[in-house]
Amino acid sequence: MRNLIVMPAYNEEEALPRTVAALDRLPDGFEVLVVNDGSTDGTGAIASRLKCRIPVHVLHLPVNSGIGVAVQTGYRFAASRGGYEYVIQFDADGQHDPEAIVALVERCRRDGLDLCVGSRFLDPNGGGFRSTALRRVGIRFFAALISVLSGTRVTDPTSGLRCAGPLAWRRFAEHYPEDFPEPESLFWCARNGLRVGELPVTMFERQGGVSSIRRLRTAYYMAKVTMAIVFDRLRSQELTTS
Amino acid sequence: MNAETLMTIGGVAAFGITLHWVRRRELREKYAVGWVALASLLLVVGVFPDLLMIFAERTHLSYPAAVLFIALTLIYLFAFAVSVSLTTQYRRNVRLTQELALLEERLRRLEAATSVSRSESTKLDSRESA
Repeated sequence: MRNLIVMPAYNEEEALPRTVAALDRLPDGFEVLVVNDGSTDGTGAIASRLKCRIPVHVLHLPVNSGIGVAVQTGYRFAASRGGYEYVIQFDADGQHDPEAIVALVERCRRDGLDLCVGSRFLDPNGGGFRSTALRRVGIRFFAALISVLSGTRVTDPTSGLRCAGPLAWRRFAEHYPEDFPEPESLFWCARNGLRVGELPVTMFERQGGVSSIRRLRTAYYMAKVTMAIVFDRLRSQELTTS
Repeated sequence: MNAETLMTIGGVAAFGITLHWVRRRELREKYAVGWVALASLLLVVGVFPDLLMIFAERTHLSYPAAVLFIALTLIYLFAFAVSVSLTTQYRRNVRLTQELALLEERLRRLEAATSVSRSESTKLDSRESA
């Protein structure tokens, strides 16, 4: 069984080659899938020429569809090709540490987790770049909301570094939130009895491009994700894990 | 200008707009049915204003606030239906976009594989003929 790293990329021509090159040190059994989300810069052309020791696949979404749709396309790729055990979401902008990938998979395997999130806030001394103060307030709010409504303690629900086991990613391939999907999908897993865990990771400041969460959209982001989580709580159990 | 003339003009305009958009194939006949019905209603009421008075008296809808409430309710329901239908359309669009990307990748992979095997077979052919 192989593991797939899904790397959504929207206008990341600057950071993408370095981010993929940094995956060189991964052990055998890992493959990377770059999902070019309808980029308007050279991301598509660069992605097609990427060279790495591990196999690189590239998908081109013909129109910009948003992070949720891009990541879901990765899960659908894993489902349609088959032979994958864990699917890891990994940002193209160089924020995430490649070392964490193996650690996340090992943690999932050891503890039988269905979803393991890389958290910046678990290690009181580490964590590296922990986002801006205002954004940390939002993250803490979502962490509290998810913890209270699902009974599962989480610290970094917006983290885009996560490892999903078959139970989680096969469901994500069918249903996945379109925009700002991380907190909502994490909540879905927790409330449907999937085993969810976190692993301390270090993150870096992004190397290029702009964060997909711009200031003007913050209010919409907070309202949409809060509403989505509260509404999801009202749904009945959608997965029986027996 | 009185309300009757306004409604007649509105009815004719609604007819014209609907026809124009259907002719340009930018409005599906499915939706045009509803708009033509609305245009007809406006026209009938514009030409026979008494009908509206009788209706208003029978239903006690003769004061403006009630009429406004009914109108807003209809607009709300219509806009909500549009939102629901947009959601369905969005979901279909996403699925199609994703399938397209997946198929394109598969095609690229297949093409690469066949071009390799073809160049290999050409090599074999040239060796055989030599």
